[in-house]
Amino acid sequence: MTRATGMGFSGKAAIVGIGETDYVRGTDQSILQMILGASMAAIKDAGLKPSDVDAVIPPPGFVAWDEIAAHLGIPDVRYTACPQMGGASPTAALNTAAMAIALGVASTVLVPIGWNGYSAMRPRPGARPNKRRFSAAFFEIVKNYYAPYGLRSAPWWYSLYLQRYVKQYNVPPEAAGAVALACRAHAQLNDKALMRGRPLTMDEYLASAYITEPLRKLDCCVETDCAAAVVVTSAERAKDMPHVPVTILGGAEGHPNRPDELINRKDVLDLGLDLAAPRAFAMAGVKPADMDFLQVYDCFTYIVLLELEALGYAERGGAAEFVKNGNIQLGGKYPMNTHGGLMSQGHCWGMNHIVEATRQLRHDAGPAQVAGCELGLVTGYGDLGDGSIAILARGAA
Amino acid sequence: MSSPERPKGEAASVQPDGNTANATPHMMIPKPDELDVEFYQAVVKAGALRVQRCSACGTWTHPARYYCPQCSSGDFTFAAPSGRATVYSYTVSHFSVEPAWQPFVPYVTIVVELAEGPRLVATARNIRPDEVVIGMPMRIVPETKSPDFAIFWAEPAGE
Repeated sequence: MTRATGMGFSGKAAIVGIGETDYVRGTDQSILQMILGASMAAIKDAGLKPSDVDAVIPPPGFVAWDEIAAHLGIPDVRYTACPQMGGASPTAALNTAAMAIALGVASTVLVPIGWNGYSAMRPRPGARPNKRRFSAAFFEIVKNYYAPYGLRSAPWWYSLYLQRYVKQYNVPPEAAGAVALACRAHAQLNDKALMRGRPLTMDEYLASAYITEPLRKLDCCVETDCAAAVVVTSAERAKDMPHVPVTILGGAEGHPNRPDELINRKDVLDLGLDLAAPRAFAMAGVKPADMDFLQVYDCFTYIVLLELEALGYAERGGAAEFVKNGNIQLGGKYPMNTHGGLMSQGHCWGMNHIVEATRQLRHDAGPAQVAGCELGLVTGYGDLGDGSIAILARGAA
Repeated sequence: MSSPERPKGEAASVQPDGNTANATPHMMIPKPDELDVEFYQAVVKAGALRVQRCSACGTWTHPARYYCPQCSSGDFTFAAPSGRATVYSYTVSHFSVEPAWQPFVPYVTIVVELAEGPRLVATARNIRPDEVVIGMPMRIVPETKSPDFAIFWAEPAGE
């Protein structure tokens, strides 16, 4: 069994409950309802009641901690905080939960997220109106310097630097295609995946039309209505819970300099994860090669390639080799996004990656199970390059 | 990288003739504040690119910051850069959700790197999408859209 290093919050806290809604395109539920549903499911999965929860780490926008507590009936919130880094938030929130528990500030932390990624633009007639928005400081930069140029959302912003990655390192489209295909293949094993029943070939990927170069339509994740949540508690308490604990062995966040703007970094290809990954591996006392699976934040395929490089699986520009020959598919050396990821299960801000990592380490991942897995990692990528990572282990550390 | 969808030899769709009067009739015109409005007002007043320059150490910074990232001084001006610049990165957009931009696909957006260091976003004109190469010399031409905002065009500057 793995051992905690004694650094930071290593081994002090564990995921003991998971919950998620269905991943759908079109819902009558409000964001708040979905988040509450996933939260209640996670609390019950841990064998707990809402009154056992004493800290809430809400998503960066959409809903606030106090309404979550009030609707669920959590009477005594001892701690709340809100990492604001878009898709890097859930994994950063998991680490924040582990810190609060390690310090004894809180005992049991609820970490939920959810949104109406599909219905925001296409509301159903008669559905509850959703006025709730995601908020981020970098929107000022977007408004003043990107949006006037027809660069209104993530694919257009990120392409400003991804095209340089492609040109500088001659990254072939087949490398991004390998990411899309791995996620899609894994979605075929997952009843909850939006893209189940829709397998994908490399020829179909390569024929996909460009949105904005280098991103094709099939390089982008799927807009989804969904929510997911986890419950984290102390390693001690976790021993007496219904499921095998999934211990947080190490974790970190990182942010490129400057964090609020995309193109004036010394190297535009630097991700927050480049800084975070070595810190997390050091805290966990393990190496990238020790991982049995990878759940990598996959808003866009090319960003996955950069994350794999940041994690240490390849030199800068070298991820195209790493993803070849089924290496990131089930049966390969580093099965990645075994649930289908944001690309093919659905976009739940990467909380679905944490849920899937927990299922894997419980050995409860059904046909996608990585046999005998003991160690795995989850990453987050958000806003303009923020990064987060958690290294998770089966059982008590 | 291949570009199967792009018709070869098709002219750039964003006003290749330089007539920008109706180029983007409904584009987003922001109302900046803080240092961003000072930056744009300096550009509008000069009718040419201006960039924040630290009065203490001479470092050029964009977007403008209250403290110099090099020396932490809070003293600065908006000064005239040399005008020398190159393509640092770019994207060719073949699709837009914005009605204002849909008539112009495929449009090219360039990250221009000034000789002084800072990089900024500009829309390409007088160049076809398949002619854009990282490192090629460009010039930045601002176009005033309001007293507080100008957009930037990037044009090939020749050798």
